[in-house]
Amino acid sequence: MTRLSGGLIDRKAPLGFTFNGKTYQGFQGDTLASALLANGVQLVGRSFKYHRPRGIFTAGSEEPNALVTLRSGARAEPNTRATVAELFAGLEARSQNHIGPLEHDLMAVNDLLSPFFAAGFYYKTFMWPRAFWERLYEPAIRRAAGLGALSTLPDPDTYDKGFLHCDLLVIGGGATGLSAALTAARAGAEVILADEDFRFGGRLLAESDLLDGAPATDWVDRTCAELAAMPNVRLMPRTTVFGTYDHGIFGAVQRVADHLPDPTGQVRQTLWRITAKRSVLAAGAIERHIPFADNDRPGIMLAGAMRAYANRWAAAPVRKSGDPVAIFTNGDDGHRTALDLLAKGVPVLGVIDTRPAVAAFGAYQVFSGGTVTGTKGRHGLTAIEITRNGQSSWHNVGALGVAGGWNPNVHLASHHRGRPVWDNDLLAFVPGADGPKGMFPAGAARGKGGTHAALTDGMEMAIAALSDIGVSASPIALPDTPDTPAKQSAYWYVPAKKRAWVDFQNDVTVKDITLSHTENMRSVEHLKRWTTLGMATDQGKTSNISALAVMADLTGATIPETGTTIFRPPYTGVSLSVLGGGDTGHHFRPRRLTPTHHWATAQGAEFTEVGQWMRASYFPRAGETHWRQSVDREVLTVRHDVGLCDVTTLGKIDVQGADAAEFLNRIYSNMMGTLKVGMVRYGLMLREDGHLYDDGTCARLGVDHFVVTTTTANAGAVYRNMEFAHQCLWPELDVQLISTTDAWAQIAVAGPKSRALLQRIVDGFDLSNEAFPFMACAELTICGGLRARLFRISFSGELAYEIAVPARYGHALMERLMHVGADLGATPYGTEALAVLRIEKGHAAGAELNGQTTALMLGLGKMVSPKKDSIGAVMSRREGLAQERRRLVGLMPVEPQSQIPAGSHLFTKGTTQNMETDQGWVTSSCYSPYLNSYIALGFLEDGDTRMGEVITAANPLEGQSFEAKVVPTHFVDPEGGRLRD
Amino acid sequence: MTDLIPLTALGAVDARTARFGALTLTEDDSLGLASLTLRKGQAAPTPFGLTLPEVGAMTTSGPYGAFWTGANQWMIIGAGQGTGDFAALVHAEAPNASITEQTDGFAAFHITSAAGPDLIPALMAKLVNLPPAAYAPGHATRTGLEHMTVFVLRPSDTQISVIGMRSYAASLWHAISVAAARLEHVPV
Repeated sequence: MTRLSGGLIDRKAPLGFTFNGKTYQGFQGDTLASALLANGVQLVGRSFKYHRPRGIFTAGSEEPNALVTLRSGARAEPNTRATVAELFAGLEARSQNHIGPLEHDLMAVNDLLSPFFAAGFYYKTFMWPRAFWERLYEPAIRRAAGLGALSTLPDPDTYDKGFLHCDLLVIGGGATGLSAALTAARAGAEVILADEDFRFGGRLLAESDLLDGAPATDWVDRTCAELAAMPNVRLMPRTTVFGTYDHGIFGAVQRVADHLPDPTGQVRQTLWRITAKRSVLAAGAIERHIPFADNDRPGIMLAGAMRAYANRWAAAPVRKSGDPVAIFTNGDDGHRTALDLLAKGVPVLGVIDTRPAVAAFGAYQVFSGGTVTGTKGRHGLTAIEITRNGQSSWHNVGALGVAGGWNPNVHLASHHRGRPVWDNDLLAFVPGADGPKGMFPAGAARGKGGTHAALTDGMEMAIAALSDIGVSASPIALPDTPDTPAKQSAYWYVPAKKRAWVDFQNDVTVKDITLSHTENMRSVEHLKRWTTLGMATDQGKTSNISALAVMADLTGATIPETGTTIFRPPYTGVSLSVLGGGDTGHHFRPRRLTPTHHWATAQGAEFTEVGQWMRASYFPRAGETHWRQSVDREVLTVRHDVGLCDVTTLGKIDVQGADAAEFLNRIYSNMMGTLKVGMVRYGLMLREDGHLYDDGTCARLGVDHFVVTTTTANAGAVYRNMEFAHQCLWPELDVQLISTTDAWAQIAVAGPKSRALLQRIVDGFDLSNEAFPFMACAELTICGGLRARLFRISFSGELAYEIAVPARYGHALMERLMHVGADLGATPYGTEALAVLRIEKGHAAGAELNGQTTALMLGLGKMVSPKKDSIGAVMSRREGLAQERRRLVGLMPVEPQSQIPAGSHLFTKGTTQNMETDQGWVTSSCYSPYLNSYIALGFLEDGDTRMGEVITAANPLEGQSFEAKVVPTHFVDPEGGRLRD
Repeated sequence: MTDLIPLTALGAVDARTARFGALTLTEDDSLGLASLTLRKGQAAPTPFGLTLPEVGAMTTSGPYGAFWTGANQWMIIGAGQGTGDFAALVHAEAPNASITEQTDGFAAFHITSAAGPDLIPALMAKLVNLPPAAYAPGHATRTGLEHMTVFVLRPSDTQISVIGMRSYAASLWHAISVAAARLEHVPV
């Protein structure tokens, strides 16, 4: 054990956990990383490329090394940073990316082969032979890539999402964030304070600074208690604000149950979409390291992290208690670590300071003007080489802290392509003025990192942010703490012959950067891609600036001249499950159910998704073993008796107003204003470019009252377009529009016996051909007084009607029709039979109205009326569309039992099949039980003049070719006598 | 009277109700709805004595109510008018306006809190992207809920109503009940 005294852990709450199967003990308040360190565990994983032994490098979410798999079974979560994993009883963790035990990874052979894995290795190695890429190289690379592995089991957890709104979102709950939140909260603003940690305080928990002469936690606890008691404040610990989006919107993930031993029955994580009028970015700073030879051994970590482990978690970073610790620094900050370690009783070898003539701040040795030039220790650091004035000496140490200065954490400020700017005094990038609108970086996140400065800046930025939205906030009394600004210095890396790591997670060294430069990858963007620097999941939080400095050194330019790298969302990894919003399976997206859905389910119907609607596709009966048997039966029932189909899904738009007729004349390409009251007309709508958009029927219920029917797919789009036309194109027209799709259950009653069936339910309504002819419509009552609408329209080509009743009666109406029509053979039919019936009749549907076709192609050119203007009419007459020669035709395969696949290309028989000789395509295809043959519809060049010709329909994808006779589109009742009977 | 038996939007003879701790979720199939849109140049009528409200607001008068749904357009609601021809009643009240029957176009769900008003925003934060002020008592807002378009009405501080398209009723119920169930044991 290397546990120290003090710390913010609850020693009365010991927690047992395992790492690689071995049992250890930590305490409530530990992270996995702090608990491992307290147990003397330094080696926690293997590096990505070279499989080098790696340890814990940081104490926060910027961790590049200590990536482990948490939990087991379906809950196993790979690539979790041990530095942010909150310890709980029974936590299981395993190291990753090794074959065999962690200590003896067989893949470590990669390290010996490292000269071959230089920058640009993939690009140079896997170029030839070209054919090897897909079958050999890519699978091999994919196998080798990545660190942890997914369980591939279904996620057993549930996830939630929600929306929050506030005046001020404070991102980060350290000194800056707490000061900002308290200032804003006392001003009465709606405040959200979010921090990724499970405890508020940020670096105040990690440092030994006193506030008002007392431990900083006293002030943190008092502040949190005050905030928690205020109704205008929402405190969100364990919440990572991962992205800044447009209009003051932020994405955040709250880890609700990740820290619980058994999360069963709880939401695991919640995805929050936070809309904030203003935000204060109090994300702090991330310490940078100083690359030197062999700087990646376990036991080498950031000096600030070392302080955090000692002060907050009472853990010494060594394997054996009493092992000395050294600090390598280029500024005063490293000395703080030495002092804090000494105060905790950890032996300190000394501080190696790159600056000349630096005095110690306490009782430890200073190696002024020194650098670390080498390290030893196979599974953990055992010795370092210190070089001063050309003299080198080896010293035994158990750990080394590296302090290279602090980089403001500009991640979220650069999400809107806000470019950080170089601060020459600070020697770091700070958020630029072009960052996300309404975001106020504060404290260490903008280079004001001392405790005093952070507290003051948090308060001032909160006042400024609120002032921006007209809220007046007053300064608050801040705790007293000395103002000790630390000067950063420009010592970036120790030149070395051996490898010096810059980006630990992607195994990128100073040598790789040098090689890239030699190979002319001189733009930072090229450097990144050639070496993969900064492209791991940590996005180079600890490495980007060091890399820029190395690059600048090579080019002789300054760092800002060399380049800037910015960050993208997410700040840290976000699980796809939580992004999914929680619902899986059929609740993943909402479904629309028809009024007869439950009835159809009870009949054993098979359903199909049509947009969001669930529609019955066919109704199998006992003894039917193939869907075609059911569909053939349903089709023949409609042809011979009577079938019933729920067609509620077709869009219905109520159009009223004195100018309703004129409005519809402009919407439809054909004349609609002349429609008589009590009649229905088929109509076409064009797109502005003249192509077909939608078709359907329009019923005139009154002089100034129409009901427009649209296809199921376009119901929303047509309504939206009509609203646009009404509001923006012709606001002068007196028209009122509203959708009524869901209000009415509509059932198609189709077949020669449909009139007889309907006669049994209408309340004395005359259905005779004379009184209610083809294309008539009426409002009437049925079944003893229920108001209904009846339309005599036919999609099948048979005598047919559609009857609409208030949706709540749809189910009962279907039952009633089935009951009273039993002796007539009344049978439900689904969308499959519906499709067969309309293909047999040659009626167009989605496959023919696919956005590339015109009225002319459908043989409906005359429906674009020249007597009036309408949307798309002029463009439909343009050259190119007007000369279009393809026409919709019917196709009968010469061999009746051969199905011509939809999508087949049409050719003159005997010609070579290529793009030049292509004469059209098959749009719809089905088996016609009425004709005992497969049939199809398709667009064919000059099709209207080629009746009787045998052509070739080819499906080159599957090497199929069919001979088919060109026939009229009406396979059934070409004269249309049946639907007019 | 027809002898056909109507079903609620959730597909049963009786309206569904469920309790989740202090929250009660109730399907209301007794609501009559009709849209009222002004003809060009028409002054706003006062059907059933209702003053047609401004954007984002609702008004009530006895069993009747109205809420804003679009430019010069309102939804008129009538408690207990679910099975009758409510549009005809509204038309009689406002004969010059365009009235469209909407009773069965929508499904209405009421959520009531027995533990005071704080549960309502806690629930709504999981359902709609609105600040609580947008659904304060007296407000009516059109918004999205799980990719469905809905109206959110707040008749009182302990009740909120969600009116969505009827065909989505089952998905709406699922969304609201899952969110409510997760609040069942959360102390307010």
